[in-house]
Order: sequence, then structure tokens, then C-alpha cells
Amino acid sequence: MLGLEIIASSVTSGFLLGGTLALTALGLSIVLGVMRLINLAHGIFLIAGAYAGFFLQQVTGLDPFVTVVVVAAVVGAAALPVQRYLLEPLAKYGAEAPMMTTFGLAIVLENLFLLKFSADTRSIETSEAAVPLQLGPISVPLIYLICFAVSVCVILLVHLIVVRTSFGRDLRASAVDPGAAAVVGVDVRRVHTLTFALGGACAGVGGTLIGILFSFTPASGANYLLTDFTIVVLGGMGNILGTLIGGIVLGVLQSVAGIVLGDGYRDLIGLVVFLAMLAVRPRGLFKGHAA
Amino acid sequence: MLGALVIAGVFAVGALFPHLLSDYAMQIGFRTMLYIVLGEAWNLLAGYCGLVSLGSASFVGIGAYVLVGLLNTTPMPIGLAVVVGGGGGAVLAALVSPAVFRMRGLYFTVGTLALGEAMRLMMVNAPWFGGATGLFLHVDWPSSYALYLYGLVLLLVTEFVLSVAAHSRLSILMRAVRDDEDAAAQVGVRTFRVKLFTFMVASFLMSAAGALQAYKLSAIEPYGMFGLQWSVDVLAMVIIGGMGLRYGPIFGAILVIALGELLADYPELHIAITGIILIVLVRFAPKGLVGLAGQARAWFAGRSSGAGLA
Amino acid sequence: MSTGKPPADNLIIETRGLTKRYGGVTAIDNVDLAIPRGEVFGIIGPNGAGKSTLVGLIGGALPPSSGSVFYEGADITLLLAAERARRGIGRTYQIPRPFLDMTVAENLQVPLYSVNPLISRRHAEEMVEANLLRTGLAGAAKQTARNLTLLRRKRLELARALMLKPRVLLLDEVGAGLVESEVSELIELIHSISGDETSIVIVEHVIRIVRECCRRVAVIHVGAKFAEGRTDDVLADKEVATIYLGTAHGEGKAEVRHGTVQTESSVAKAASSEVLLRLEGITAGYGQARVLNGIDLEVRAGEAVAILGTNGAGKTTLANAISGTVALTGGAIRFMGNDVTTLPSHMRMKCGIAHCMEGRRIFSTLSVEENLLIAARGVDAAERRRRLDRMYGLFPALHERRDNPGTALSGGQQQMLAIGRSLMSDPKLIVFDEISLGLAPIVMDLLYKTLTELRSAGLTMLIIEQDVERAIDIADRACVLEHGRIALSGAASLIRSDTRLRQLYLG
Repeated sequence: MLGLEIIASSVTSGFLLGGTLALTALGLSIVLGVMRLINLAHGIFLIAGAYAGFFLQQVTGLDPFVTVVVVAAVVGAAALPVQRYLLEPLAKYGAEAPMMTTFGLAIVLENLFLLKFSADTRSIETSEAAVPLQLGPISVPLIYLICFAVSVCVILLVHLIVVRTSFGRDLRASAVDPGAAAVVGVDVRRVHTLTFALGGACAGVGGTLIGILFSFTPASGANYLLTDFTIVVLGGMGNILGTLIGGIVLGVLQSVAGIVLGDGYRDLIGLVVFLAMLAVRPRGLFKGHAA
Repeated sequence: MLGALVIAGVFAVGALFPHLLSDYAMQIGFRTMLYIVLGEAWNLLAGYCGLVSLGSASFVGIGAYVLVGLLNTTPMPIGLAVVVGGGGGAVLAALVSPAVFRMRGLYFTVGTLALGEAMRLMMVNAPWFGGATGLFLHVDWPSSYALYLYGLVLLLVTEFVLSVAAHSRLSILMRAVRDDEDAAAQVGVRTFRVKLFTFMVASFLMSAAGALQAYKLSAIEPYGMFGLQWSVDVLAMVIIGGMGLRYGPIFGAILVIALGELLADYPELHIAITGIILIVLVRFAPKGLVGLAGQARAWFAGRSSGAGLA
Repeated sequence: MSTGKPPADNLIIETRGLTKRYGGVTAIDNVDLAIPRGEVFGIIGPNGAGKSTLVGLIGGALPPSSGSVFYEGADITLLLAAERARRGIGRTYQIPRPFLDMTVAENLQVPLYSVNPLISRRHAEEMVEANLLRTGLAGAAKQTARNLTLLRRKRLELARALMLKPRVLLLDEVGAGLVESEVSELIELIHSISGDETSIVIVEHVIRIVRECCRRVAVIHVGAKFAEGRTDDVLADKEVATIYLGTAHGEGKAEVRHGTVQTESSVAKAASSEVLLRLEGITAGYGQARVLNGIDLEVRAGEAVAILGTNGAGKTTLANAISGTVALTGGAIRFMGNDVTTLPSHMRMKCGIAHCMEGRRIFSTLSVEENLLIAARGVDAAERRRRLDRMYGLFPALHERRDNPGTALSGGQQQMLAIGRSLMSDPKLIVFDEISLGLAPIVMDLLYKTLTELRSAGLTMLIIEQDVERAIDIADRACVLEHGRIALSGAASLIRSDTRLRQLYLG
């Protein structure tokens, strides 16, 4: 029988990790909510962020938490032309066409990364790496807490943008009725491009956090894609704060499953939850949506 | 109908004159036929009934594991084992349908993706299915020719089913469900049954293909049989060939296999190029290659009729 | 107020304590209905009263929160829509939903094959032809549903529902969007279908249909049954009049007419002011269909121009062409002298063109205030505040609800919001597209009063309307569209008495 301290620590770790994963899912959620696009390249955007963080750290020696802003800008900027030139022209062809394109992009990029960076496992090193934080009976690595804090800050920032700014207003209007939005003066194309870039930037930051917490290879993206879909469905498509809660819920559930059933079932529980949510409450756990 | 017969006929020729084809050619033919079966089945679900699935892997895998389980434990003949393998897929479809059909559109697609992955993870964790190392098939290795014949039979069955589906009264009901499920229900269509039937038929075909694949490999494990690449390859080939078009999957399958053979030594490049082709086609030829051919034909017809008027 | 309940054993549809709740909102509240066999029964009520929800509950598309539904004496509360259809309950939709990518014949084959998959080909063809004939679609078997006009789509939906030999038909606002002549055709159709074997339940706004078709009528108000009885009695009842019919069919009209006296002088004034909008030979359409076939129109500053015409004539397409929602296939649009033909939608607003779209199109993800603010672009905060306050002054009801989600308002309030939103950009020209659609007469009175005020303040407007009387009352000029061309145009007062107009509408 596991000691209470171990269980408490494990659940807290799950809480923190889940909150961090929420950031990785945020980009997917926003793009899905506003553009009704299943971005199958989201996973590879995460990995791109991880590689960017990795190389920035190697080259500049700066703390990856500092360079994360650069990563966000880089991945966000890279996402802009993808939307403008690859996806935008497909707008009139229905939902499958852009999805297939993002899929094509994902496999092209994954294999380009394989060719360029090889399949070697990498991870981003930080000075705070293995230091444990002791809070009473609970012991979690300090790094988990820092990443959680970064994630929450970014999520809150995005939430404020969407709910308080005029861009956020335009975004929410375009999400629900792009035709009427255009008539009242919203440049819907620009909104979509910026939304996709925002999604990319979030993915970039999330990817760096993953690179810090775990190791990664070009193929890791696909696993995170599924986990992120689960979080998006838990939190509600396009619901930004919901994504945070969804991530935390999933993290805790996975910890519990790991303790109760064994390590191999952590990922499985995620998928089971996902399927159950889709079948029973596809709109997410919460009523209404921010976007 | 005629086109399907021609295609099947081409492959049948291979069966009738085995000495014309090398062993290698037979294997390629087998793979192509399997891919065509998978593509047709997927097209039935997505193109005709509107259910875009990213979970083909679930059914390929189930068929594989059922066949190996049966052949290892009973003296069942191969043909029957393949049929039962297909049946396994149909049963899985029936089991998950109440949950999966509650999801509409986008959610359905993502849900089937999760299903495939869930099956894979379950198999990895389940010790009595061999876990991560998988299972070995304890019967004799089949000859390329025998495989080819089994593949041909499956292909013929598939083409028959698709032709019936495209022209039958059932197709009217399927299209109604695809166009507007609620309105269809309001005029008396039992939409759940229509979707379930289509789903079971498509799953049967996919699982039968998976079973044959297992027979060929003689050793199966979760990553290979339930891996994402099945779902993805099927999707890619149908999109490349042309979704919803009768001959889309056939040409898509042929192209994808051909590409694989050409770039066999450069696996990353092969996948990357498939991705680029996908992107380019979706952008410039959204109806796939078959659609493109149709447009080209119409264009030529237009040109030749106007040529004499100068 | 209820005048006698028919004997219980002769009821085709009965509801007992039927209730439907959505979260905190009670859409239908404890409704008891007893609809006798062989009749045409009407259900009327103000917008948002819950009438469509009632149809959904009876037809099976919506499960009730409590209460029960009986069909021919049997409890069908737990039956799904498909089962109810198979037992003989047919239903049409407020906005017709035929299977757009299938032909007319295929649309009819769907219900046929679902109940009788083995029917012989000849028998099937006979049944299809018979129902097409019955609903006035003879010869249209091979047309794709997508290419049908609104009235023909309604006919198709009816034909499709008839394939299952229904014993009761639920018609949900089937008169919406039709003009007088089309309404007459519809009434004839309803008369020909109803009978001892086919009862009809009509949920309607168009009073004429109710008056000429229904023997008995029930009034639904805020989800509950307000009144029930013989049609003439109910329609004459004073209480019913105030909650629903408003004063439009009495005093209200005189009020609006008063406004017309003023426009005579402003017509003379407008004739000398600058041309704001000029349409030169514009053609436009959707996919294969060419809807606008060469329209020339000039609108001067300060004018109010009514655009009239039967359905399918191209009124909404014209509005969409002006705002850029639909691209032109030919011709040019000039606004204040500038060529805006290829300017995208969001830039036309900057030029000063506002479009109050058909169906309101309020953003559900934005609050009422945000819906207003989103249209005030490129101005500083003080100006935005000023315009907002002006809007709230015009529509006080919006101020009360400014933080509510945009769609959590009644139909009339949403229309106010839509009008307010299009005013927020301080436009020089507004196109009002069917603002009265689906609204009760009493609400229409209010809206048109506001429009008259705006007119007096000098706003240039294009008013696309189904309700000819209202549009002509407020306009200086009127243009009548037919088949994508202007068939008739001139001063509103002259158009009113023009016999050609009558012919176009009343046949």
C-alpha cells in the first residue's frame, strides 16, 4: 500500500503537469473554436517549439524560460504563411481539405526534422532541473511548478486578449458568424491568420515547456496531439479557461490511474476519458464558451 | 459497374497466369489490392455516408488479432478465418457505435482517432494478447500466389459491395443521412440503423484486409497492426484519388503503393513527398486525381468542339 | 379563455402538461392541447412564445422535460422522430430543409424507401408522381433541390412529408417569406390536402393563412396557452389583440400613414440632392443560378427606397451585392462617386454602407453591448461612447440587457439590436433586409416607428420588405423586382395604386 505522501505528491504532480499540458492544447482549442479547423499539424508545431527552445539554449546559453518569448514569436511567425498561403485558399472547400493539408504538412515537417535533426532524443536543460520542492508532506520537482506558472500566465494572457480587447471581439464574432462579421467591418481573413499565428505561438511555448519537462523526438508530436484533443474536448472547444481546467483534470486522472492501475494505463485512461466525453458531453464540461 | 469489373479483371489476369508475374510483382499486387479494399471501405463510410473516420487502424488491428488467435488455436481454414476476422471488425463497430454515433462531424473524426489509439494501448497492456511483443502465427507461411488469390477474392467482394452501395436504394438513404440527418429522421429514416449498417459493412471489409495482412506477416504486434499509419495511409490514398468518387480509392491506392516502391530506400523522403503531394492535390485538385481526370476530359471535349469554329 | 373541448375519442393529437425547459428558460410551460381529427388547427402567438418548440415536441425532434404527447389515443412521448413519422406524423420546417444535393424525385424516395425498401419501381414512380402533382411540382422530378425557389422548396418538403401518408401534418411557419400571390397558392394547397384523413396543425404568423384555413386556433404566449377556441372568436378577442396582433390592423396604420404626408415634400427635396449609390447593370448569382439580371438603380442622399418583389425575385441578393457579401458577375456599383465593385465586405462599411441582414445575424458569443461596439470601428473611445449612448437612447430595452449574450433577447429585441448595430458605424446608407420577418405586428409597429424617426433625421435607406403596405408607407420611392430585374419603379404613392403591382402580387 502506497504511503499517503507518495499519493499526495503524485496527484500534485499530475495537477501541475496537467496545467502545463493545458498550454500545449490551447492553440489547438482556439483554432478549432474560431476557424473550425482540426489542425493535425499542431503536434509538429509543439515539437518545432521544443527544437527552437533547445537550439536557442545551446546557442545563447540563456535560460529557456527567458527565451520562451522568442520561441513564441518564431513559431507564431512561421505559422502565419501556413495559414495565408496553404489554408486560406482552401476555405471554400469544406472542412476536410484544410485538415488534410495540415496533415500533409505534419508528415512533411516531421520527416524533415528527422532528416535534419535525426531521431535522437533530446531535452532542454535548465538549472532548476531536478531540485525538489518540499511543501509539507508533498514533494514535487520545482521545475513542475515553474512550468505550471508559465502555462497559467500565458493562458490568462490569451483569455484577457480574447475577452477584453477589440481583436478578441472580432475573433469571437468571426467564430460564430464570419459572414455577418465581415458585413460589420471585421476583416475575417486577418482574424483567421492572427488566430492561427496565436495558436502557433502558444504551441511554441508549450513545446518548449515539454522539452524542459520531458525528452522529445520528431515523432513525439503525435502523442501530444491526442492528449491535447482530450483536453480540448474536456474543456470545451474554444473555451480558454476551460482548457486549463481540462488539462488539470486530465493530469490528476492520469496520476490516479497510474497509482491505481499501473504505469501503462496512464495514457490509456486519457483516451478512455476522451471517448467518454465525446460520446456523452462533446461540448465540454462547462456551459457556454468564451470564443 | 463496368469500371470496377475492369479493375478486378486486371488483377484476375494475374491470378490466371501466375507464371507471368514474378514473386515480387505478386507481393506488390497483393499490397495494392489490400489498399484498394481499405480505401473502398473508407470511402463507403466517408464519401457515401458522411462519416469521416481517422480510426481505420482499429479495424485493421482487430481483424489481424482475431485471425492469428483463430489460426493458432483451431484448425480453421484460412478463408473462414479471414471471414471471422472481418466479423470481428463488424462486432467492434456495433459495440462502439452507440457512443461513436452520438458524435457529429468533426467530433466523430477525432473520436475515431482516439478509438484507434485506445485499441493500440489496450493491446500493449493486455498480456494475453502478447502485449507489446505481439503474437506469432503458428501455421505455414503462405505462398505469394496463395496470398494473391485471397486478396483477389476480397477485392472482388469489395467491388461488388461498393457497386451495390452506390446504386442501390440504400444509397439514397445514406445520402439523405449524410446531407441532413435530422431532416432524414423527420421523414422516417431510422438514421442509426443506416449508419450502423454502413459502419459494420465498412468495418468488416477493413478487418478482413487486416486479417489477410496478418496472415502475410506471420507475426503481429500492436504498433504495427493498430498503428496510426493505417488510418493515415487510407485517408491519404482516398484524398489523393478522390473522396466520394467511385474510382478514387483505386487510383489513390495504386499511386501510394507505386510511390512507396519508388522511394523504398528513402523512407523519410517517401513520407515527406506523400505529404507534399497531399498538400498540392488538396489545393489544386480537391477532387483528387480521378476528379482531375474528369475535369481534363471535359476540357478536352470542350476544346475539340470549339476548334472548328475559328 | 376556452370555448368548449372536443370529445376525447376524436382527437388526433393531444398534449397533457407538456413542458420544455432549457436550463433556466422554460420554453413551453404546461401546455394542454386537444386537436380533433380531420381539422385544420392553428397555433399562433408572438415571436419567442415557443411555437416552434411545440412543433419540435409533437414531431419528436425534441424530448419534453415533462408532460406527454398522445397520437390517436396512444402515448408517443418516448418515441423518436423517425418512429413518429412512420406512424403518420409529418412535419415541415420553418426554413425548408430538403436534401439539397438530391433531385426532387430522390427527395421523395427517401421516406418511401425507408419504410418500404422492396417496393416495385413502377409503384414507387407512381407514388412520387402523384405527390408531385398534388403539391404543384409536376414535371420537376429531375431538378436538384438546391435550384428551387423558396415556395417550391416548401412544396417539396410537403410532398416529401406526404409520402408517408401522414394522418397529421405539422406545418411550421410555412407562410414565412412568401408574398400575397404565393400565400394564396399556399392556402389553396392546404385546402386541397386537408380532409378527414389528413389533419393539419399550422403554426403561423401570417394571419391570413390562419383566418382562411383554420377552424380552431390556440394562442401561445410566453410558453403557455393563452387562449383557444374558434378562429374568428379568438382573433376578435381584445386580450389576444393586445398581446399579439398589436395595433397594426387598426390605429397603428393611421399613425404610419401620417408619416407619409411628410414624405411628399421630401421627395421634391431629395430629387435635387447628390446620388449616393449607383448600381449599373449589375448581375449576380449563387453557383449556377443567376439571380440578378441587370439592375440599374440610383439612390439619392436622404431618400428612402422600398425594394419589393416576390420571393426569388432577388431582393436579398441585391442587398448582399450592395454590402459585398455576394460578388457581382457583371456591372458596377458606385458609392459616393467611388467604384466599390470589387471592394471586400469589411471595407464597404468603412465607406459608409451598412447592411442590416436578413435573419438579424446577432453574434451569440458577444454581449449586447459588444455586438454594438464591434460595428464602431476606427473611432476613438469618446466617439464610441457617444454613439453607444445614442443607440441606448433609441432602444432603451437594449440598455437594460447590455451585458446579456446577444441572442438571449426576444426576436423583436434582437431586431432592435441588429438595427442599432448597423447604425453604430454612422453610415450614410443602410440597407434593411426583411426586418419584419417572423415578428408579431405589434413589434413591427415599434420598429417602423423608429425607422420613420431615422428617415426624418435624414438617413438614406433601402428597405427590402415583404410587407408591401408598411414599406410603401415609409418610402419615397419603390422598386419592384421580378426575376432579377426591376419591373416597376416610381414614387411610392403612385406605386401603391398601380394595378400592375397588384397583379404581380395577387396574381
